[in-house]
Amino acid sequence: MTSVPSVTVLAHGLGGPTDLPIPYTYALVGAAWALTFTFAAVALAWRTPRFDPDKPGRALPQWVTAAVDARATRWLVAGAALLLTGWVAMAAFLGPNTAENPLPGVFYVLLWVGLPTASLLLGPVWRVISPVRTVARLAGGRTLGGRYPSWLGYWPAALGLFAFVWLELAAPDPGSIGAIRTWLLVYLVLTLAGTLWCGTRWSARADPFEVYSVVASRLSPLRRNADGRIAIGNPFDHLLSMPVRPGTVAVLSVLLGSTAFDSFSAMPAWREFVDTATLFGPPSALGQTLLRTGGLLLFAGVVAGTFSLAARATGGVDAQRRRELPGLMAHSLIPIVLGYVFAHYLTYLVERGQETIIRLADPLDRGWNVLWLSQAEVSYALTMHPGVLATLKVGFVVAGHVAGVIAAHDRALALLPKRHQLTGQLAMMLVMVGYTFTGLYLLFGG
Amino acid sequence: MTALNRILAATAAAVLLAGCGGTSESGPTASPSPGAPSLTDAQAPPDRLVVDVTIEGGEVTPTNAQLRAAVGQPIVIRVDSDTADELHVHSTPEHNFDIGVGPGQSFQFTVDMPGRVDVELHQLHKTVATIQVR
Repeated sequence: MTSVPSVTVLAHGLGGPTDLPIPYTYALVGAAWALTFTFAAVALAWRTPRFDPDKPGRALPQWVTAAVDARATRWLVAGAALLLTGWVAMAAFLGPNTAENPLPGVFYVLLWVGLPTASLLLGPVWRVISPVRTVARLAGGRTLGGRYPSWLGYWPAALGLFAFVWLELAAPDPGSIGAIRTWLLVYLVLTLAGTLWCGTRWSARADPFEVYSVVASRLSPLRRNADGRIAIGNPFDHLLSMPVRPGTVAVLSVLLGSTAFDSFSAMPAWREFVDTATLFGPPSALGQTLLRTGGLLLFAGVVAGTFSLAARATGGVDAQRRRELPGLMAHSLIPIVLGYVFAHYLTYLVERGQETIIRLADPLDRGWNVLWLSQAEVSYALTMHPGVLATLKVGFVVAGHVAGVIAAHDRALALLPKRHQLTGQLAMMLVMVGYTFTGLYLLFGG
Repeated sequence: MTALNRILAATAAAVLLAGCGGTSESGPTASPSPGAPSLTDAQAPPDRLVVDVTIEGGEVTPTNAQLRAAVGQPIVIRVDSDTADELHVHSTPEHNFDIGVGPGQSFQFTVDMPGRVDVELHQLHKTVATIQVR
């Protein structure tokens, strides 16, 4: 059709419309609730810590655990995921260079939003479906005997997540099939090489998708008791089991900062600035990419900086403890991240998800009709009811905020000395209110 | 209060317009239904939203314009261009128009679902306007 070998340049790398801004009144009501609840929690709520990661949940019947852990189940699910990976690879290498290719939808919707959704509902599913883990298992779990350096922590995953959002929000052509294919190939090679070098510890700490999956799974009511049985428990107990490693705060900051930056990039003033800025010479694709990269770094950096400072802003602890505080409080960011991610990407997940699955039935655009999916119709019910959608969005943001505040309050009671429990929380509560107000402001469209 | 009034006005407009149906070019509902009642004053046909776009020497005016339209309201993009390009309307379904060289090229479409729709020039990589459709 055209001489330019790329699909359309699109925000998010996907075509189609974006959500309307939420009405002003919705944003105000949401903000008022968030503020009220925050100070009610600090001033009036319980005074001794209630949540405990070791508290067992209500165990489900033994057969549930047996069925989930059965070798057959594991191989079946992993095999299906590997098959799907191959199917998507076929679209990536042989599929059309048009909007009919399912690859961008698989990448930006099913993987980026679908994975945390599944992890929130079921637990850390990426461990089971990760193609790299399956390949490593097929290779008999042999490694080259390397040891994963513990000081690396989650930093490689934070970098990987940043690379993902960079492609989505800063790269010159996020919808390009070639760019997504290259990204995925680099991801597969790095993760496979790392796993061959030092075993599954690499996948657990350096695979961005596995770490994102673990982060989301900590808010799930489903968990495992100490004896391995699957149980239903209080998500606030579960949150505390988020491992504290170097880079935990960075992972959460990239997730929250990038989602906020995504909202922010839709603002006309920012777009106009990126289009016309002459910071890097006359306007060019490279200059615009640099500007957007800077914006993305700034958003993630502001989240990391404010959160770390707020966690440390308390009296009565020694220097060693003060350094540990951001990590020890980091789990309280998880509900805020997820609330905002769902507010922001809900229509993407539901509507673009349906479109993507239908496109997957015909990955090469040759009229295939696998599983009769091509006859399916996408339901745009969410888009057709903007009032319901806006209510849901504000609801997610406020619910995430409230859960974050509760988790942070309880953790502060456990970590801070008695005399500083009230004042020591104030900075954190203000920062969380700041995140939520900013999030609502961005959803309102500025 | 003004914001609320604006929302109410937009909602009222949308309700009024909804009665008139769209004039989608690509959708299967393009033909008017046979039993449609004749228009009364309250159901006057919606005004068109007209956007004038000039492409000259690689420069586009306007860029990143913020516009509002109602669901089903006809939107007309009038283009004066000194170069061939493609106009992409990122609605569901998408509309694509080929722009030739010359003045006064008109492209009409409707958007049948609420949302923020980008109107974009493909070759120049420029967003002409974002239309809030309510």
